[in-house]
Amino acid sequence: MGETFPEVRQKRRTGQGDRIAELGRFFRNPGLFTITLLAFLLIFLFIVYPIGRVLLKSFTVSYPAVIVTFHHPRPAPEGFKERLAGIVDRAAYGVKGIEARRLSAEERETVLTVRFRKDWDDLKGLNDLRRALGKEKDSLLPLAVEIKYRLGQETEASFLTYREFFSQSRYYRALKNSILLACITTLIVVPISFCFAFSGLKGPPYIRGFLKIFGLLPLVAPPFIFSLALIILGGRQGIITRLLDLPLNIYGWQGVIIAQTVTFLPLGYLMIENVLRSLGSNLEDAALDMRASDLQVLLKVTIPLSAPGILKAALLVFILSIADFGNPMLIGGDVPFLATGAYLLWVSENNLEMAAVFCVFLIIPSMIIFVVNEFFLKGKAYTTVSGKPQESERRPVAGKVLYPMLGFSLAVSALIVLCFGIIFLGAVTKILMVDNTFTLEHFRSPNGFRTLITSVKFSLGAALIAPLIGITVAYLLVRKKIPLKRVLESMSLLGFAVPGTVMGIGYILAFNTPPLLLTGTFAILIVNEAFRNISVSLEAGVSKLHQIDPAIEEAAADMGAGSFKTYTRVVLPLISSAFVAGFIYTFMVGMIAVSAVIFLITPGNDLASLYILSVAEQGYLGMACAISVMLIAVVLGSLGGLKIMMRWTKTEIL
Amino acid sequence: MGAKEILRLTGLVKRFGDLTALNQVSLVIERGKLVTFLGPSGCGKTTLLRIISGFSFPDEGEVVLDGEDITQTPPNVRDTAMVFQNYALFPHLTVAQNIAFGLKIMKKPKKKIEDEVERLLNLVQMEGLGERRPHALSGGQQQRVALARALSLEPKILLLDEPLSNLDANLRILMRGEIRKLHRRLGITIIFVTHDQEEAMSLSDELIVMDRGVVRQVASPVEIYETPADEFVARFIGQINFLPGYVTAVMPEGMILTTEIGELFLAPPDFPAAPGARLAAVVRPESVGIARRGAKPPEEGMNVIPGRVEAAMYLGFLMRYTVRCKDMSIQVDEPDPRYNGIFDEGSEVDLYLRRRVHLLSR
Repeated sequence: MGETFPEVRQKRRTGQGDRIAELGRFFRNPGLFTITLLAFLLIFLFIVYPIGRVLLKSFTVSYPAVIVTFHHPRPAPEGFKERLAGIVDRAAYGVKGIEARRLSAEERETVLTVRFRKDWDDLKGLNDLRRALGKEKDSLLPLAVEIKYRLGQETEASFLTYREFFSQSRYYRALKNSILLACITTLIVVPISFCFAFSGLKGPPYIRGFLKIFGLLPLVAPPFIFSLALIILGGRQGIITRLLDLPLNIYGWQGVIIAQTVTFLPLGYLMIENVLRSLGSNLEDAALDMRASDLQVLLKVTIPLSAPGILKAALLVFILSIADFGNPMLIGGDVPFLATGAYLLWVSENNLEMAAVFCVFLIIPSMIIFVVNEFFLKGKAYTTVSGKPQESERRPVAGKVLYPMLGFSLAVSALIVLCFGIIFLGAVTKILMVDNTFTLEHFRSPNGFRTLITSVKFSLGAALIAPLIGITVAYLLVRKKIPLKRVLESMSLLGFAVPGTVMGIGYILAFNTPPLLLTGTFAILIVNEAFRNISVSLEAGVSKLHQIDPAIEEAAADMGAGSFKTYTRVVLPLISSAFVAGFIYTFMVGMIAVSAVIFLITPGNDLASLYILSVAEQGYLGMACAISVMLIAVVLGSLGGLKIMMRWTKTEIL
Repeated sequence: MGAKEILRLTGLVKRFGDLTALNQVSLVIERGKLVTFLGPSGCGKTTLLRIISGFSFPDEGEVVLDGEDITQTPPNVRDTAMVFQNYALFPHLTVAQNIAFGLKIMKKPKKKIEDEVERLLNLVQMEGLGERRPHALSGGQQQRVALARALSLEPKILLLDEPLSNLDANLRILMRGEIRKLHRRLGITIIFVTHDQEEAMSLSDELIVMDRGVVRQVASPVEIYETPADEFVARFIGQINFLPGYVTAVMPEGMILTTEIGELFLAPPDFPAAPGARLAAVVRPESVGIARRGAKPPEEGMNVIPGRVEAAMYLGFLMRYTVRCKDMSIQVDEPDPRYNGIFDEGSEVDLYLRRRVHLLSR
């Protein structure tokens, strides 16, 4: 019944006059007005603005510049500027690297801005210029009392960085690789997910529980632990490499593809299982009745009918693969990819302009897919609308259809279990397969503990903020008549749709100058993580609110509760389950966050997931495994604790 | 096995956990008949249909189709075809492709498939709509496509699972007539499942009334209505006055049944009934006459039962009275209130009951 609300709302289309009256009511309601304004401001500031800064940055070029200020005692005499220009021309003739210069005269000072070539060392330029102008001291002195030199930057709008991107292979290859990787990963993940979902639903009942556990297991781990496990298995010093004496090299394409496949399996599995389940067995039964064999049913009915849903899953996996940071970072070897490339440009060259261009190419696929999904796939799913789900018994599917899929799924499950096993064994042995002595020394890592605590604090903070904002926005969207609804909704979704790397670089660009000097603080980490994840809480809130009869709120308002009071006293308790869902999601995601936060951490507030990454990169695989094990334990422990608490307080989750 | 027999079900048992959905069901269905499984929801009629179609397999018993044991045969190799309750048309295929689905699977030549689809579209009066998608069709049209698709298989039995339940009342009556006509024209064996007794009565050659996994009666609609086998059947089909009593005297020309509404002089049943036997008279409301108190009975030798009108409902085509006779209320349907007049609530009336009524032993 919850589904009917939006429709009813649309049917009650208001006329122009009514809409103006509605707006009037909105502006006369101070509580609603303030909350709405606040929501708009916060979401704009922490989602839209940073992304905007990235876009802007990609279209600008900065040059090293030297700014020379000439002070003069009296107002500049007639013709002073022309004479100065002449002197500067003469002096600058011998200075290398100058591209342009500009003079601007004011009452008591004249400023000369000299722009050097983009790759020029600005300090050398300054010294050269000072020396050259020093030679002209005699001509200058009567005019200026004091001459000051300082370093600066000249920024101008330009497509130069884009041109550079496409002209240098080390840049455009990252784009090509990322897209190729996303295609390959998607083409592998989707069939595997289909096999998992299909054999879970059609195979013997106990198989489903089994596959569900393995299919969802990767969710609780940091996204890169499969890379870690693969390195231990097949790296240059890896178990397989050594055991079989193979010249195996897991670094590069093969490693990233395997690691991403396992990492994104849960998502593909969840989505495709949902599609297959909502398809129901009715049409498959009909096809079977039409003399089709099980294989023909699968090929002519099941797959064509679930195609829109499968395509949706494919698009999401594609986006996630492009946005993935941890796996390419750890196991990508020398192959450049966009997300990691942007990070490396920032840390090693401080080339934020090129990093911003990388970001733009990270954003474009997500945006295209977002649009395709919104406008072409929405409402295109075939679902059986038959009232009650048919409670018929499971009809056995022919073995020649089921067993290959089941076998394939079990093989992938085995790989997942193997990865987890390797991580665990790696954590408790000195060096796995080299010195298999049992040891707990890897767990004795003060930094590991410190970063774990930081991670928990960080995730808790984000998990408290994200649902609060997400559900407030959901409430405004579903229940209140506010202007620019669609804008608010799209802005909120943007944080989720845009890859983390972009949000990381966006935050650096947006918040490193006063008055918004937030980089380097712990708060910026939390804010970033929270705003990137509000859309999940928002969706949960919207679906819960659709289930609550507006009459309950009207009853409360009828008894004299204001808009704000209605929200806190009546609505909040009712949608607490949406809050809990948002909290759990944000907490879990926070514990394993990598891509955006890596740009924002400072030595004092390192996170566990990033610490694992850096320890692993330095080759301390045992310690990386140990901290991973602890991290997974914390995630599972908190989930379990929450579940017990839920049962205790009889609150329902999800 | 006779030549007339097409389907034989023997001792079918189906359990879902603790629930016995079918309990020792045995039936024989004759070639070319339109047979209806009728019963309240949960009576096992759909389970039975699914076993016949092969979507479910019985725990005990066997299914023999045209002399061949198909108990364990999967649906895609049985000569049955099903029209599903929600039609189950393939939404990604056109009407023509839906109808051709089975023919293509059976690898018929292309030309033959085209001709066959054309013929079937004509048969269900859907000419020219072959290129439409199912969602662009009305409920009645979808129904016709589903029928055509099932008929394309030339099944030995056509199974219809509550096919009319998703249609509105007028369309339902129309489609009912069409299914009947189609059956006459093709001479195909049809099993029809429904919980709507009117639908069942008007369509069927034979009714199979089921309740809680057991077959209660197998008979023609007339027999089911006039001579129900037990109280369940009597109450399930139409309205009924169920008058339990004892035989108090047996005479050559009849017997006396003492009931709660008084002593009734009735023709003896076709089974032996000695004095003291517990019987029940089953009387349809339209078989009870009504007139003002003391009027002359329309026929000689009718039982006259005095009563008082408790409720009078004007339904247009008939008057429905509830009349209190001693300790029991009797329902009376007066088909011609214009001629006989209308009795208000509280009127003192006489009810007339013929000697020949359907009797059940209790």
